[in-house]
Amino acid sequence: MNIQEYISSGIVESYVLGLASEEERKEFEQYCNQYPELLKARTAFELSLEQQAMAHAITPDAGLKSKLMEAIGQTATVVPMHHTPVRKMNGWKYAAAACIALLAGSIYYNIILTGRNSQLRNNYDQTVAELNTVKKDIDMLKGNPDIKMASMKGTDMAPAAFTTVYWDTTSHDVYLLVNNLPQPADSLQYQLWALAEGKPVDLGFINEEYFVKQDRLLLKAKNAQSAQAFAITLEKKGRQDVSKPEGQIYVLGNLQ
Amino acid sequence: MNPTTTYGETELVALLQARNGQAFSYLYDNYSGALLGVIGGIISDRDLAGDVLQNVFVNIWRKIELYDPSKGRLFTWMLNIARNAAIDEVRSRSYRDAQKNQTIADDDSLPGAVTGPAIGDVGLKKVLNKLKEEWRVLIDLSYFQGFTHEEIAKLQGLPLGTVKTRIRTALSHLRTMIS
Repeated sequence: MNIQEYISSGIVESYVLGLASEEERKEFEQYCNQYPELLKARTAFELSLEQQAMAHAITPDAGLKSKLMEAIGQTATVVPMHHTPVRKMNGWKYAAAACIALLAGSIYYNIILTGRNSQLRNNYDQTVAELNTVKKDIDMLKGNPDIKMASMKGTDMAPAAFTTVYWDTTSHDVYLLVNNLPQPADSLQYQLWALAEGKPVDLGFINEEYFVKQDRLLLKAKNAQSAQAFAITLEKKGRQDVSKPEGQIYVLGNLQ
Repeated sequence: MNPTTTYGETELVALLQARNGQAFSYLYDNYSGALLGVIGGIISDRDLAGDVLQNVFVNIWRKIELYDPSKGRLFTWMLNIARNAAIDEVRSRSYRDAQKNQTIADDDSLPGAVTGPAIGDVGLKKVLNKLKEEWRVLIDLSYFQGFTHEEIAKLQGLPLGTVKTRIRTALSHLRTMIS
């Protein structure tokens, strides 16, 4: 193909002015990629067309611009754009906006994280405290040769009930392990007894909070000076004399 | 008034595509006059030309994504939007007028062909007036009134091949006259 002939055929003008057919356009665009001189001729004509149009510009009515800016949702700006600082400021505005957005995001995230962090901290402290208590209980049982144990089986009142008492024969400390004991009604509470020579000795009540929290392995009871067996009864709250059992026996077991 | 001194065309297009209001304001300040000149070459009514100009800029704002720099300069793209909008306006107007004057309409020629728009002595039109009559008519029908080559062939009673050749020849002359 003779590209010079093609260029001077009027196709350049036809294409630029939007008069070429679809087929002609495609062909022209393809040739533009192949022939730099064609692209050069196109650009040259476009520039001359632009200059021509600029030279014959008609100034629009002054009110038109604000109407237009309103129509596209942009408020009209009176500041002429010819001063370069406008462009620079634009960049800064974007940068500043981005910084503020980032900062706000960061602060927000920090607050969230701080809150979450302190919550985690609390949970951690609580868990460590519980673990230490359990460890202490276990160490106390493990390394102590004076500990004796009583497995207390459920009576007919509660056949599934089962508790264990650990009694330090030297210090007389009593610890209760609640393996299984039904939660009592609000008006009732469990009472632990040592049976010494057939007589019950009060070792205290099982705090009802235990049934809610279940945060302890061993419950510390009152000291027992002597004992052959241990028992738990279910008693009414607020009775006058707590030194003698009145309710039913739930669990009972001899010292081994 | 050369816009490239403040915004590179690539930069301007990027800003417009990012819906930058100030870039659009700049675009209007720099090109509205030239585009109104183009529209004014097709529509003589100044108020109507202003309305079309506004629509053209709204369309530029909305359709800036469609602009493909590999196919031509931004101004060329806008110029063609303006020209097409002006032609559409004239056609729909002529069509409405034709509907109104139905009783006295006595031919079935294409809308706009009989009355035609007023030819202002501006811009390309001014250059066009220097062309040979047989070319001038063809460019006027083709470029300023938006008729297809087939329609022009029918209107002028010329073979399609002749219309095409003459328009091409006329256009190649137009270039030497402009530059």
